[in-house]
Amino acid sequence: MQVERIPSTFADLNVVLKERLGRLGHFTSIDGSQLIALILYPHEGKASLLEIPLEGANSYHSLTPHHAQLHWFERATYDMFGILPEGHPRFKHIYMHDPYEENFFPLRRVHLPENFQSPIKRHFSFLEVKGEGVYELPVGPIHAGIIEPGHFRFSCYGETIVNLEIQLGYVHRGVEKRLTEVALPRMHFIAEAVASDTAAANALAHAEAIESMLEIAVSERSKYLRSMALEIERLAMHIIDVGGIATDIGLLGISSTMGRLRGKALGLGDMLAGSRFLRGFIVPGGVRAAGRSLSNFKSQITILRHELKEPLNMFLDNQMALERMREIGVLKNSLCREFGMVGPAARASGEAYDTRQHFPHGAYPAMAPPVVTAKDGDILAREMVRIKEIWSTLDTLDRLIDNLPEGQTQMEVPDKLPANKIGLGVVEAFRGELVHLVLSGPKGEVLRYAIKHPSFNNWTALAIAIRNNLIADFPLCNKSFSLSYSGNDL
Amino acid sequence: MESLLTDLNRQEWLRAGAFFFSLILMPPLTVGIIRKTKARFQNRIGAPIFQPFYDLTKLLKKDETISNHVSWIFRSAPSINLSLLFIVACLAPWTTLHPFGIPGDLFLLIYLLAFSRFFTVLSALDAGSAFGGFGASREVTLALLVEPAIMLSLASLGVTAGTSDLTTVFSFENVKLQSQTGLWFIAGCGLFLSSLVELSRMPADDPTTHLELTMVHEAMILENSATNLALAELTHFVKIVVLLGISSQCFLHSLPWVWHASEITRALASIGGVFFMAAFIAVIESVAVKLRWTKLPEFIAYSVAMSIFCVLIALSRGTN
Repeated sequence: MQVERIPSTFADLNVVLKERLGRLGHFTSIDGSQLIALILYPHEGKASLLEIPLEGANSYHSLTPHHAQLHWFERATYDMFGILPEGHPRFKHIYMHDPYEENFFPLRRVHLPENFQSPIKRHFSFLEVKGEGVYELPVGPIHAGIIEPGHFRFSCYGETIVNLEIQLGYVHRGVEKRLTEVALPRMHFIAEAVASDTAAANALAHAEAIESMLEIAVSERSKYLRSMALEIERLAMHIIDVGGIATDIGLLGISSTMGRLRGKALGLGDMLAGSRFLRGFIVPGGVRAAGRSLSNFKSQITILRHELKEPLNMFLDNQMALERMREIGVLKNSLCREFGMVGPAARASGEAYDTRQHFPHGAYPAMAPPVVTAKDGDILAREMVRIKEIWSTLDTLDRLIDNLPEGQTQMEVPDKLPANKIGLGVVEAFRGELVHLVLSGPKGEVLRYAIKHPSFNNWTALAIAIRNNLIADFPLCNKSFSLSYSGNDL
Repeated sequence: MESLLTDLNRQEWLRAGAFFFSLILMPPLTVGIIRKTKARFQNRIGAPIFQPFYDLTKLLKKDETISNHVSWIFRSAPSINLSLLFIVACLAPWTTLHPFGIPGDLFLLIYLLAFSRFFTVLSALDAGSAFGGFGASREVTLALLVEPAIMLSLASLGVTAGTSDLTTVFSFENVKLQSQTGLWFIAGCGLFLSSLVELSRMPADDPTTHLELTMVHEAMILENSATNLALAELTHFVKIVVLLGISSQCFLHSLPWVWHASEITRALASIGGVFFMAAFIAVIESVAVKLRWTKLPEFIAYSVAMSIFCVLIALSRGTN
């Protein structure tokens, strides 16, 4: 996608966010001497990059008090670049904790001011809740299941959660920095490994960004095949997420069936890409190993649709199960807007935002299915959105394979990026809006490769939604958001 | 005369032998049956029925990891609990193979169970982990709600028999005399529903979950390992067999054909009864959902209501 680069000021950004002229797609810096804010305009299908020079200063007045959605962005920008947001209400590290030196900011290229001293310590701190009967419950970073690491600090009053503080960053690998170092032909391997369960979406966002810099238009066939990969990933992950909810409320029969059916959905990926997890399929310039054996593809979708019907109906007919999910972890629409939530979690709160409708990627928006929404914002609403999206995804796959055009699948791609370009890929991953933003320097080198994973927007939502709920409901609520740790930690 | 005595003795010894044999074998086997049935319900083959035996022996061989901050309570609670549960098993009428006619008072039984819970809770608090703390708090809250149900169901049976000695209450001579089929059946239902809560089964607690935050019983034994864990597990298995046995005995006492059956038939029926109840639990756990913590009192109210029915029936018969 093409991006317009606009030199601007904090006042401009303030107006854009206040008047809701556009969505905040990303907020970060390039080398530490400026701030950039990616603004997405869903209705026009456009994007612009507001560049705010800091003019030698190392701090600015935090925007978080007025625009809550910048809350994590400003913390992350400090972690990576050392740019201080003065007056940030809850300022602490987000990715990088104890093991790192105090004045180490990995992506900063300009020198830190003399006598710079980080105002916050690296070690863990959290908002303490005091009072009789309040106790702290630390959970993680090592969990009982085979999941990713994250530390949750609950302040509880009896069985009720008063406050939840989430600390992430345990799987920080320096992906963004590494992406600026490797040569273009190897970049897509790292890009798709940002979060392995979102491999196809990350690969697609990367490919879209790189292609927009090189000004390559991929063939129609590639676009359709890319969309198919994206939908297969969504299908498999939505199936296992619904199964995960069934596990957590104790419906083990349904959960094991969903586990088996996820395997079948991944089998579709094997048919399409020769890789069940769709690795190495979407590359800049098109797709690789395309359409190995698509002859059975359609019948497999029909079988899967048939097999999904029964467990999903059993799940939705079980009144105890519905009762268990209703009115827990409610996320109000107003909060959802204020914090800029994305994906199924936002759609379950009545926010009709699906990037497939708005931004070109793969065969969208031409082949985009209608947006699925719900209004209650509770666990049940989130699961209903997922279940309806399973059906709409199966329909989309059917339409894609029916209309699959003939033609080339791989274009010639130069092995170097053009100078001073901006590339952008906005993709609807199964968790929501995924952004890859690439800026190249005067010699065609990558100056900054910025990734915004949908989980980055939604982690805060979880912490808000769980307040005043029962502590025993947290795992269920957590599962219903289905957030990624590695996608957030980068 | 002398040969008659030795005959009697032999029968008594045989019965005691069978009792202890089933007391050792049945607890892991019952749990194995529950797990196997659940697996079949989920379209899985499942672990062998004898898997709990293998698990226990595996745990006994392992090295123990114990926090430096725990006191003797944490170390000794599992052995104390297991001993208490063996005493309860000898007193409680969970099978017709009751050895040596040991008299078992119903209040003694309930307080022995409470005593073992006391030690479980103490050892959970002793380890100092936050999970142990809230697991203990949940366990005690549930126990507070369920105890009246168990107490009232058993007491109503005691009222009709005119004694609180469970051996007499559950003796078939007494049952024939009273022939209160309905009372036994409702008492059985009440005891079964409260056993589900007492045994931390669904819908009160999910025994298979890995989510610490939702646990009740499992949260209390999170810190146990190796031998201590094996003992805690075995204690829980014995408790399952005893409580399921008592409610299945209630159901068996409501069936008139059992009153006139031979002793061997009764013994086999009581063992089969426990296994049947285990399979029934597995069915419930496959279709039911773990309830919200705040909805649990509503579920427990069913078993309390049953036990109040029992009391009403017993009292109305008493005044006639």
